[in-house]
Amino acid sequence: MRVGSAALKGVTGLVLLFLLFPVLVVVLISFSSVDFLSFPPPGLSLRWYRTIFSDWQWIDAFWVTAQVGALTALLSTLLGVPAAFALSRHVTRGRGMLNALVLAALVTPSVIKALAIYLYYVPLGLLNTIPGLAFAHTVSGIPFVVINVVASLAGYDRDIERAATIHGASPVRAVFGVTLPIIAPAIIVGAVFAFMQSAQELLIAIFVLSTLQKPLAVKLWEGVRVAIDPSIAAATTSVTLLVILGLVTVMLANRRSRPVRTVAHA
Amino acid sequence: MLAMVLLAPMLLWIVAFFILPTALMIWESFAERGLAPYAAILTSPIYRKVLLTTLKICLITTSGSLLLGYPVAYMLTTCRPALRKLLLVLVVLPYWLDLIVRSYSWMILLGRHGLINQLVVGLGFSEGALPLLYNLFSVCLGMVQILLPLTILTLFSAMLRIDLRLVDAAAIHGASRWRAFLTVFLPLSLPGIYAAGLLVFVSALGFYVTPALLGGPEQTMISQTIMVIASDLLDWPLASAAGALLLVVTTCLLLVYSRFFRLDRMLGGVAR
Repeated sequence: MRVGSAALKGVTGLVLLFLLFPVLVVVLISFSSVDFLSFPPPGLSLRWYRTIFSDWQWIDAFWVTAQVGALTALLSTLLGVPAAFALSRHVTRGRGMLNALVLAALVTPSVIKALAIYLYYVPLGLLNTIPGLAFAHTVSGIPFVVINVVASLAGYDRDIERAATIHGASPVRAVFGVTLPIIAPAIIVGAVFAFMQSAQELLIAIFVLSTLQKPLAVKLWEGVRVAIDPSIAAATTSVTLLVILGLVTVMLANRRSRPVRTVAHA
Repeated sequence: MLAMVLLAPMLLWIVAFFILPTALMIWESFAERGLAPYAAILTSPIYRKVLLTTLKICLITTSGSLLLGYPVAYMLTTCRPALRKLLLVLVVLPYWLDLIVRSYSWMILLGRHGLINQLVVGLGFSEGALPLLYNLFSVCLGMVQILLPLTILTLFSAMLRIDLRLVDAAAIHGASRWRAFLTVFLPLSLPGIYAAGLLVFVSALGFYVTPALLGGPEQTMISQTIMVIASDLLDWPLASAAGALLLVVTTCLLLVYSRFFRLDRMLGGVAR
């Protein structure tokens, strides 16, 4: 029995190493002091970050990605949160179809989405526009918001909302004043995920936005195939830092809402 | 009524920016040459080879992800809550990192002068550098690494619903830990294995970046072929037909999935 659990711990450790080691490699390489890819790097420096952040092409790419991602996160939240309420509280028939639709929006290969949206945008004139790319990314962003909010509502005690109604709040006010603040962390997590999938998405971005402005994913993709210096690693690590910033935001939001939640469960 | 009002904006959006474009793509595949593009894909040995390669890579990747993910999901299910929290953070961490980055780091590690080859040659296991990159091995390795978080989370959320007291009951009646696992826990976790397998397989079907960076010409997957047909050959009917065929396969698999597994169980570990 002891041998069994030791083996389980060992295997788990190895799998986690396999999962995280490549990430560590890129982060370390980005601080390399030499202009070729060598791991471990012979010395550490910030020169590749200076290279990236003094290059207008990279700064433009960051800016395009920030705009597309923010619009995607906003739209996904506005559309996804009401739908999650309907899915977890009201819909009884057709739930299976709705689930399948949301899932399809998430996992349909992006080459299909890219091809379809390109053919669709040509007559609409949405090609080479930032909203155009965000509108398409919102389709894959909605599922992250819906899944997180539905899961959060499943664990939410609706009696608190009823208590607010009994004390004279209108149903709408009860939802906005009581329920939404309590499930806010799930909404934020969903929105951050929607942003991240937008920032990482490559194929739709290539088709919709490649001639004039390049989002980060397209710039990285072009760079990975030609660059043999660590500048790509610095660019990708910057994205990672952005993500960690997002994570910290989420964690802070979680912490702030904890007192509310304790009251809820008392 | 209220449900419709709440759902309508999302549904309209999905129809406008997903269903209609996809319908247009399918229409485009028939519009110019009828069924000819479909016949071209299904009869041409090149495209058939790509389809088989895609299937092979997806099967290997799915099996690999399940084999590596299962012990971690089991550990998550049975360990203390404090450790579970830490493990979940570690499992989800790479899920948040750029797809291109993760394949890129394998290029650094597996390359001719990469860390692995330095070790192998330095320690005298091999005379020259091993061909670790641009083959089936590197593609599957990269894809498993990317799909593992999804696998582990799906398995874990299914295992959470298994009553662990059943395993204890088997142990009390004299079964060894291993036997109790094999006869009680493993069969009860089968639905989770099916769910994770299906989801990982469907996700693997659409991979583009990883096979393009880590594979050779022999490992060309369907998404790469569609991109080449569309952006290099500019043959939209043919690209659309290939896209439509891929869509049929993924939609069928998704319908099976949503028939048996609930949506809100997905990514359940991420939210909390």
